[in-house]
Amino acid sequence: MSEWHRVCGTDEIDEEDVIQFNHGDKVYAVYNTEKGFFATDGICTHEHQELADGIVIGTVIECPLHQGRFEITDGCALSAPVCIDLKTYPVKVENNNVFIEL
Amino acid sequence: MSDYQATNAASSGVVVDKKHIKQLSRRSDKPGLIWLAQWLGFLLATSYLIHSSQNTVWLIPAMFLHGIFLTVPAYSLSHECAHGTAFKNRTINEVLFWISSFIYFEEPYHRRYAHTRHHTYTWINGKDAQMPFETPMDFKGWLLEVSGLGLFFYELKVFFENATGRFSDITREHTPESELPKLQRGAIIFLSAYATLIALAIAGYKWPLLYLIIPRILGGPVMLLFTLIQHVEMQENQVNILNSTRSFTTNWLARFLYMNMNNHVEHHLYPMVPFHQLPQLNESIKDQLYEPDPGFFRTNLEVLSVVIRRSLGKSTKAATIRQDPSMINS
Repeated sequence: MSEWHRVCGTDEIDEEDVIQFNHGDKVYAVYNTEKGFFATDGICTHEHQELADGIVIGTVIECPLHQGRFEITDGCALSAPVCIDLKTYPVKVENNNVFIEL
Repeated sequence: MSDYQATNAASSGVVVDKKHIKQLSRRSDKPGLIWLAQWLGFLLATSYLIHSSQNTVWLIPAMFLHGIFLTVPAYSLSHECAHGTAFKNRTINEVLFWISSFIYFEEPYHRRYAHTRHHTYTWINGKDAQMPFETPMDFKGWLLEVSGLGLFFYELKVFFENATGRFSDITREHTPESELPKLQRGAIIFLSAYATLIALAIAGYKWPLLYLIIPRILGGPVMLLFTLIQHVEMQENQVNILNSTRSFTTNWLARFLYMNMNNHVEHHLYPMVPFHQLPQLNESIKDQLYEPDPGFFRTNLEVLSVVIRRSLGKSTKAATIRQDPSMINS
């Protein structure tokens, strides 16, 4: 059964940036992009690296370790060395708070 | 959890504010396009020198000069584009990645995956896919490396392995199975293009030899002197970039040709920082780094002195450059 979990206030993620959200033993990345807030798995599918240390370019997240790129909105792996998509999660904004459905 | 530790800032004890690193990592097309225009300007000038010196004794010096301006920046641009940090515009980045890798002599997919491995396991024997020479290096190894013969035969072997689908163990380790057909296709395209250039030269066309093939061969050693001192004589088989990698000071022309990669420690610590921000990155973290080695020429002369003395069985202690104690045989 999935539930909504509060991640942070909307002003706690800079525009075109990402933060890490830990829940249980899993790591998620929550993004503030030009198209709104989004969430994906927080670890790169190529090698073990937290994506929250990467940079957001438009709606693309670039892994800081090898510069592999994913489309944030659908998790699609865009360019080598990444070739496995990221899992994405529903996000909503209520009363200036960002929530993720897990 | 992962069972390895990637070689980068985290493994080296270097700490910088995350927001500052993200700021330095912001992408832009402008610095790359300005650099590209300057490179093309230099190439036009050196091409004119070749054109004007045909049938004179100045032809070989002109081709050597053109070779330096062709080969060193081609290596640098291919490397920067492999990281995707040269340009914000991904199409420009990828087109120039293929062109510069063609001049450098490595198929782009292989270059990107092998370099990925180099960053994960920097200077770790058996795991780093870009440890191109035996260590500790002796004079024979230096000659093989700097002449370009070592790189040529290694890359030629990789080209034929990949083109025929007989991928090596290390290639299979650093490249996902699903990506291997791309490496094969890329190797076939590049080998076909190289064969076309050679065929044109045999058919009597002079330009492939005058402006590409001979200058690439002549400029190769200068490029390899830049890449040689990135890690030679440094510590192996550990995860601290400060001990495995060398930065050096140099003049504006070398910084231009090498796209600021004389800040090589800084690059390995934070590979997502574009070339044009490496001097700023150095400013931000220099109090956490060792002093850079003193100049391209002096560092190379000291390395040459060390490898000659190693071959002669004499002390291998370098005069001033950084050197791991395991490399010193007094």
